[in-house]
Amino acid sequence: MEYTIKYKAKNSYETEVTDALWQFLIAPQDNESQKLRLAEFKNSLNAATEESTNSLNFNIYRVIQRKAFKSIEFEANFIVRKEEVNPFSALDSIYNAEHYELINSLDFRITHEQFLNATELTQFPKTGINFEFEENRSVFDNLQQLNNWLFSNFKFKQQVTDTRSTTEDFVSRGAGVCQDFTHLFLAIARHNKIPTRYTSGYLHQGNGYKGDSQMHAWAECYIPEKGWLGFDPTNNLIALENHIKVAHGKDYSDCAPIKGVLYTSSSTNTTEYSVEVFAREENAPDVFTQSQSQGFGKRANQQQLDFQMQWQQQQQQQQQQLREQSGTIF
Amino acid sequence: MSETNSIFSSYEKDSKFYDEIFDEDGNVKKVYQTLFDLYSGHSSQDYARLNDKAKASFFNQGITFQVYNDNEAKEKIFPFDLFPRIIDPKEWEHIERGVLQRSKALNHFIWDIYHDKKIIKQGIVPLDLITSSANYLHQMIGVDPPGGIYNHISGTDLIKHSDGKYYVLEDNIRCPSGVSYVICNRTALKRALFGVFNHYNAHTVTDYAQNLLEMMETVKPRGVDEPNCVVITPGVYNSAYYEHSYLAKAMGVELVEGRDLFVENDFVYMQTIKGPERVDVIYRRIDDAFLDPLEFRPDSALGVPGLFSAYKKGNVCLVNAPGTGFADDKAVYTYMPEIIKYYLNEEPILNNVHTYHCSRPDELKYVLENVDKLVIKPVDEAGGYGISIGNKLTKEEIEKVKKTIQASPRKYIAQPIMSLSVHATYIEESESFESRHVDLRTFCLLGANKEFVLKGGLTRVALRKGNLIVNSSQGGGSKDTWVLKSKS
Repeated sequence: MEYTIKYKAKNSYETEVTDALWQFLIAPQDNESQKLRLAEFKNSLNAATEESTNSLNFNIYRVIQRKAFKSIEFEANFIVRKEEVNPFSALDSIYNAEHYELINSLDFRITHEQFLNATELTQFPKTGINFEFEENRSVFDNLQQLNNWLFSNFKFKQQVTDTRSTTEDFVSRGAGVCQDFTHLFLAIARHNKIPTRYTSGYLHQGNGYKGDSQMHAWAECYIPEKGWLGFDPTNNLIALENHIKVAHGKDYSDCAPIKGVLYTSSSTNTTEYSVEVFAREENAPDVFTQSQSQGFGKRANQQQLDFQMQWQQQQQQQQQQLREQSGTIF
Repeated sequence: MSETNSIFSSYEKDSKFYDEIFDEDGNVKKVYQTLFDLYSGHSSQDYARLNDKAKASFFNQGITFQVYNDNEAKEKIFPFDLFPRIIDPKEWEHIERGVLQRSKALNHFIWDIYHDKKIIKQGIVPLDLITSSANYLHQMIGVDPPGGIYNHISGTDLIKHSDGKYYVLEDNIRCPSGVSYVICNRTALKRALFGVFNHYNAHTVTDYAQNLLEMMETVKPRGVDEPNCVVITPGVYNSAYYEHSYLAKAMGVELVEGRDLFVENDFVYMQTIKGPERVDVIYRRIDDAFLDPLEFRPDSALGVPGLFSAYKKGNVCLVNAPGTGFADDKAVYTYMPEIIKYYLNEEPILNNVHTYHCSRPDELKYVLENVDKLVIKPVDEAGGYGISIGNKLTKEEIEKVKKTIQASPRKYIAQPIMSLSVHATYIEESESFESRHVDLRTFCLLGANKEFVLKGGLTRVALRKGNLIVNSSQGGGSKDTWVLKSKS
């Protein structure tokens, strides 16, 4: 199966920005189950773009704009080929006590420690979790149950949470978006000693699908003898060929699609973005589908741009913080 | 001690503490005798005048720090004491070998933790001890720093206990500070009492900056001939800004802030009037969390966006490496003897404060029988919570502590109550020399085939009588520290 993916973002600022840098973690990963056949990335100001990798070795784009501006648009186009996956190959319902022995072994916990510990965004909630792993059930089945439990007990609802929402927030509201479903999945799976990582990417929901399309998130779990397998609790799916992976990490903070550093006195900005995923004929000519987008999904003042600040003010504050820390050395 | 000299007349001796100046019989120790005689020849008025002179020297050198309270910043000098501390060559040789050993063992330890974690697999250090530390950075897993060095600069805090032996209280391997005071203390004492230096052959301390630069040059990135080194500071508002600027100036390198640097195609450049100039080695005096807003704290305005990817690719060296902080943690400290043995196959040269793990039955027994002589600490609490100091407890409280430990022995460790040695210190109020508690911070440099321990150190002194806390925020001062040259 081949897909074309179009990612667009537009950032507008109330006052002029004099210097800016953005980092995009949006390019599909090249791995065993998917091949990135083509990638292009451009911006409306022709600002310099470089490619680099983040600390987990995922490809990133960096855009550096050193001239004053008030608005910038970005567009990325990708063609990805996904290997067809036999959906039954993932299933593993046979209980094996050795698998649980393995996940409790020191060597296993050392190898996977990075994805076994709770982070700020993936704390196991103190209340409201009436889900437990069942004894004498395979690891896969227990995770499948967890996927199902999340899907059945929480509602998909936008704009009730943001990228800093905790699992507690999600549980108390009973609703959120894919990030929230994924973070709670991570919290519970890790609580049960299963190495689990936050995964960001694109979901193909069927051609012609429009609406509020954005980057998707799901969880990848390490299953003994099988390896990493994706669970999508927002849709109660196993991640197969419709899930196009970009990156993984401990939680959202490792996978934020855009990070920006801006030198500006402006306090407000608007970010508009859209994502479109189309299935295409395999080996069709490598031209991108002309934009069929009906405009961007608007979300003003969203956290999409991870931060922006009033530079000097912030710097002073931090110097003072540091002073207090280092002041104790003497 | 001479009956006639008034400036030492209010010096109290307390056998509970080790005295650096006087032996058990109250006689001045040999190494201090000349100094003591010289000092005794002056009147208290002379010292009052010299004390003012030394203070002026610090203000003139611009060595001040700010004390913060009620949103008001006060410029203060770090009080400097006129009576130097003397360490004889043999004692120093022991300290020097000891701090170097710890520094090397810590470097092996950090490398192992960010690569194979063998020490955990061997069951010597528990996994949770490392992964629960906020200073353990996943970003550093698998990263190979230039020259294989993580803790290029270590500051080791030592005390001399009542048994007359040195004990390490803490290893500081993030951004240890204080070395500029070592150098300035020497300058100030020379200005105030130049004559005394004619009678002692002390090692210089001014070679620190030269050695720091040489060490930085040994950890240059691959393919670089003559590395361009810089010092990065959080800025003029930082309390250690004087030290940052002093070290940059003494090394003859640029002092920069985050906004002076930028990253392009994973290389780091400095903005200069002649255009961008590549930077190869950065002595960073900003904390890990602030280094790179794209990888660590996203709201950091002090760092350089993209710095970490340049570092990971080996295009720039950060001194010290990010993520060393888990290794100088208080909990890891208790494992230092094992860490030294594991990596170096050597016995530790310097003592660790002994730690009793209540999880081990025989140690638990000892702890329960000796609560009044111990400090009891919970293993999982940070910031001094839940600590009981045995000799300050009432009988009822001791019984209560025992019950708490017995209820969950795994949760507690115990250490003997350590006492800091005392040293003659000039006290402004009494215009005489009195005994005050002191510690010692040493500075050790580790590079690729380069090792250096500064022959001297920062002797911090608690100026308040009976006080054991030497921190400047608690009214601490410091002394010039002389390491004598061996006579041969």
